[in-house]
Amino acid sequence: MTYERAKDAEQEAGTVPTPFPRSQQPRTESSATRTSAYGAARPSGTLARNVSVRGLNAWYGDNHAVKNLNFEIEPNKATALIGPSGSGKSTVIRCINRMHEEIPGARADGEVLLDEVNVYDPKIDVVAIRRLVGMVFQKPNPFPTMSIFDNVAAGLRLTGTKGVGLRERVEKSLRAAGLWEEVKDRLKEPGISLSGGQQQRLCIARTIAIEPEVILMDEPASALDPLSTLRIEELVDELKARYTIVIVTHNMQQAARVADSTAFLLDGELIEHAPTEKMFTNPDDERTERYVTGKFG
Amino acid sequence: MQETRVHFQEELAQLESQALGGLDLVVEALNRVMEALEHQDVELATMVIADDDRIDGRYLEVHQGILSLLARQAPVATDLRLVAALLDVVKHMERMGDQCVNIAKMLPVAGNEPPVEEEILKRLLKMGRQAAFQVAQAKQAFASRDVALAEDLVIQDDVIDRLNREIFREVLDCSGDADTREWSLLMMLVARSIERIGDNAVDIGEQTAFVVTGLFREFQDASHPDLNSE
Repeated sequence: MTYERAKDAEQEAGTVPTPFPRSQQPRTESSATRTSAYGAARPSGTLARNVSVRGLNAWYGDNHAVKNLNFEIEPNKATALIGPSGSGKSTVIRCINRMHEEIPGARADGEVLLDEVNVYDPKIDVVAIRRLVGMVFQKPNPFPTMSIFDNVAAGLRLTGTKGVGLRERVEKSLRAAGLWEEVKDRLKEPGISLSGGQQQRLCIARTIAIEPEVILMDEPASALDPLSTLRIEELVDELKARYTIVIVTHNMQQAARVADSTAFLLDGELIEHAPTEKMFTNPDDERTERYVTGKFG
Repeated sequence: MQETRVHFQEELAQLESQALGGLDLVVEALNRVMEALEHQDVELATMVIADDDRIDGRYLEVHQGILSLLARQAPVATDLRLVAALLDVVKHMERMGDQCVNIAKMLPVAGNEPPVEEEILKRLLKMGRQAAFQVAQAKQAFASRDVALAEDLVIQDDVIDRLNREIFREVLDCSGDADTREWSLLMMLVARSIERIGDNAVDIGEQTAFVVTGLFREFQDASHPDLNSE
């Protein structure tokens, strides 16, 4: 788990890890406009970063799963990755927060730039990257022994947030995840007492509590019922005002509903990346056409 | 690669065939109403009016089929463009059927033995044949996704427009008695209906280009005629 790793790193370094030199800290919460890692002022309230994937290759042993991928993921937009099973979608997003290399035998090369910081720079602190790039998984995975409150607070406690500040941040995160009204009177109950859809929103609250800049979603609604799915989709629409969102989905209608742009992957290659409307009305590539119309599976 | 959604593709092809088959019904109605006009056959004209129910029925059938397909299959890309175009095609088909009815309704008004100006009638019959030809060409262009053939409809439609202007001039110059002038005016309305059928055929041509290219553009922009020559 990201937080457990962060905790280890914190104990080792004696401080919250950051991938940036202290002079280039990505946020200054007190100022009206926050300063990015590179000095450019950003409007208050948005944390989103541009993600630039350049010459990315990934392997599982000898299996070349992602082949020389180049594309841009815009801030404050939802970008969907679609493609058949085994096309490399999940591998790509796991490369963005360097989770891919956690799998035995897996490796990656190339560049993934968060604005201009290369997450594959050998000097980068991997744990801090994972704090900036949050991830929501297919199956809701709240910490099973923790209460609803503690699930959201866990990551925050690692950053030293306590007391009233902590409670405020938990409420803010639960509100942002659209869950507050449903759980405000039962914050001490176990996270796993919630329904599947609620658990997934709890995981999203947990992810946004530590204010990442990019949120990766790997099939976030595929284990949920249709109504919970629509709630997650609405949430994506709200969250993109603040974050960069990348969503992997097998459900093409979901991509069509939530994403501003859609990228189609096939056999580890990027076939086409265009505004979602174009991808679903008039794609350029014949293979995209055949995939979105369901002419091959 | 494995072919999938075979049933959906069959259903879509079936809807297209029903919609384009509707254009055959229009050609049939148009030929009949022109025959009725040529021979002042009020009975035949009445039949055209009654038979318009078939065209309306076809419209409803395809429209309902498309709604159902949209709801169940959520078509995208070329399939989506085809579905959107078919909605347009059936609407034009239904309008053309109505224009045939409009013409048919003129005939009893003109009477059983109206004073006929041969030149006007000759031109009207020519217009009718040309319009039927255009509807058939629109159908063929759509079915074969032939953009060049679809664009050619604009050139074909110029023939109708020219005949329409000639009829207008002749009606204006008509120096006959009151009955003849009245008949001439009714024939101007008939010409107008045929001219509209020609325009609908061009519109179907535009839908053909949309299905193929994914971009909708008017072949001829009536509100900006200056741009048409570009």
